[in-house]
Amino acid sequence: MKNLAAQQQALLQLLFTGAAAPPALPHGAPAATGLPFHGERGLRAYRANGLALAERTLTGAFPVLAQLVGAESFTALSREFWLTHPPRCGDLAQWGDALAQFLQTNSQLADEPYLPDVARVEWALHVAAGAADQAADMASFALLASADPATLSLRLASGTLVLASNYPVASITTAHQSGTPSLAEAGAMLRAGTAEHALVWRAGLRPCVRPCGPGEAALVTALLRGASLLAALESAPGLDFQGWLSMAVQSGLVLGSGSLPTPE
Amino acid sequence: MQTGIGWRHPHYGELLERQLAIGFLEVHSENFFADGGAALAVLRRGRAHYPVSLHGVGLSLGSVQGVDAWHLERLARLVTQIEPVRVSDHACFARASIRTSAGLRDVHASDLLPVPFSDEALDTMVANVQQVQDRLRRSISVENLSAYVSWDGDSMQETEFLIALAQRSGCGLLVDVNNLYVNALNHKLRDATVDPLQECRSWLDALPAQHVTEIHLAGHADCGDIVIDDHGSAVCDAVWALYRHALARFGAVPTLIEWDTDVPALDVLVHEAMTADGHLRECAP
Repeated sequence: MKNLAAQQQALLQLLFTGAAAPPALPHGAPAATGLPFHGERGLRAYRANGLALAERTLTGAFPVLAQLVGAESFTALSREFWLTHPPRCGDLAQWGDALAQFLQTNSQLADEPYLPDVARVEWALHVAAGAADQAADMASFALLASADPATLSLRLASGTLVLASNYPVASITTAHQSGTPSLAEAGAMLRAGTAEHALVWRAGLRPCVRPCGPGEAALVTALLRGASLLAALESAPGLDFQGWLSMAVQSGLVLGSGSLPTPE
Repeated sequence: MQTGIGWRHPHYGELLERQLAIGFLEVHSENFFADGGAALAVLRRGRAHYPVSLHGVGLSLGSVQGVDAWHLERLARLVTQIEPVRVSDHACFARASIRTSAGLRDVHASDLLPVPFSDEALDTMVANVQQVQDRLRRSISVENLSAYVSWDGDSMQETEFLIALAQRSGCGLLVDVNNLYVNALNHKLRDATVDPLQECRSWLDALPAQHVTEIHLAGHADCGDIVIDDHGSAVCDAVWALYRHALARFGAVPTLIEWDTDVPALDVLVHEAMTADGHLRECAP
C-alpha cells in the first residue's frame, strides 16, 4: 500500500472507528501515515460534523420514524447507523437504504417491531421523490377498449411500490404526515394487530402513500413485475377494475396503457 | 452583478417568485443527482432565469481510489442538463477503505478531508481532476479547504500544491477567502505569534491571478478552541478586508456568498452579495 493510501485509510479509520491505527497497515505504517499533528480537536470536529450530518440526512428521509422514536433516540440511532453503516458514495440521498434492516436487528427497538416497516415505507417515498419524471398519456387508454388485455399492460407512476406489512404502516405514516387517520386511530389499529399493504407512488412531483387492499396490492405487484393486464387481473379476482382504474388515473398512479413487448 | 448566492431550499420558491438581480446561483451538485423529481424541477426553473454554478462536495478529487464512476456520470448528466457557468469541487478526499468487523469496506466520509501536500497526493489529484475534465469536456475549478487536521511531512506549501495542480491539469482555482482565514485563526490557536491577516495575504499573494476563476465568501464560528467554517453567519470584517486584497490581486473574479446553516432571509443574503459586488467594482483593477 502506498503512503497516501495508508494516510487516507488511517484518517477515515480514525473518524469512523476511533482506532488509533488500522491493523492492516504495513510495517512502520503508523509513523509513515503521518497522523494529524494537531489532530485530536480537529478529529472531534470532523466526527461531530459527520454525526450531525447523519442526523440531518436521516431526519430528512425518515421524518415519521424520527417522530416515532423521539428526538433523543433518533439522535443515538443516527449516530450508531453512521458509524456502523457509513455512506459508500458522495450523494447522501443514496444513504439510508439499510436503515430498516439495521432497525430490525436493534435489540433496543424490539418492543416496536413495526418500526422497520415504517422505515421501508419512508425509504420507498424517498426513492419515489427522486425517480424519473413521467407524463401521463391519456390517449393511450383508448387501447383498453380495443386491444386484447393479454397483450396490454398499464404504465404506473414513477417510484410505485407495494409493501406488505404485518402492521398498519401506511396508516401510521399518513397519520404523522397529514393526520389521516388520527394518531389515536392509527394507534388503535396497531394495538388491534391490523396488517396493511402500503402503496407508494408519485403523483406528479409529490410522493404519496396510502393503504391498499389485497386485490389492488396483487394487481399493482403483478404490473410491476411486467405482467399483462389480463394476468394482473387474474391475480386480483375480487377487484372492481373499472372503479379502481378511474381512481388510479385520477390520483396519478396509472399514467397510461401500452402494448407489451412481443416475445421474440 | 458578478456576485452570486448559494441557492438553498428555504429560498427556492421566493427567489423564483421575486427574480431578484443576482449574478448567478450556486447549488451543490449532489443535491440534484436524482433521475427526476421536485428538486431537479426547481433547478431547471432557476436555470431559466440565472446562470448556475454547480459546486460539488463529493467528488473526492484527492482520493487514491480515484473518482467514483457513478458520481462522475451523475455529474456529467447534470452538467448536460443545466449547462452551468462553472463546475467546481474541493482539493480534498473523502473516499477510502476502512477495516471493519465485516472486513474492508469502502466509505465516503461526506466531508472535505485534507490531503497531504506531497508529490504523491498531487499526482493523484491531477489524475483525478483530468479524468473529471475529460468526462465533462470542460475545465473545473478546485477550491482550497478549511482543514482541521494536517499531515506531517508535507513536501510543499498549499499554494505550491494548488498552483502545480492548476498548471498540470488545466483546472481553475476557486479561492475561498473565509477558508484561508479560518485556517489562519486555527494556526494562531497553536502559535500565538501568527498574524492571521498577514498569513492570508501572503497566501493570496503567492497565487498567480490567471488561475483564479472564482472567490467564495462565508461566515465562520469561533468555538474558542477551534474555528469552524460553518457557513452560518455574515462575512466578517477581516474576510471582507482579505476579499478586497484578493480582488486587487486577481481582478474582477465572480464571487459567491455561501450561507448553509441557519440560513437567513433571502434579503440578507442578497445584501451580502451586493456588498461583495460593491467591493468588486471598487477594488478590481
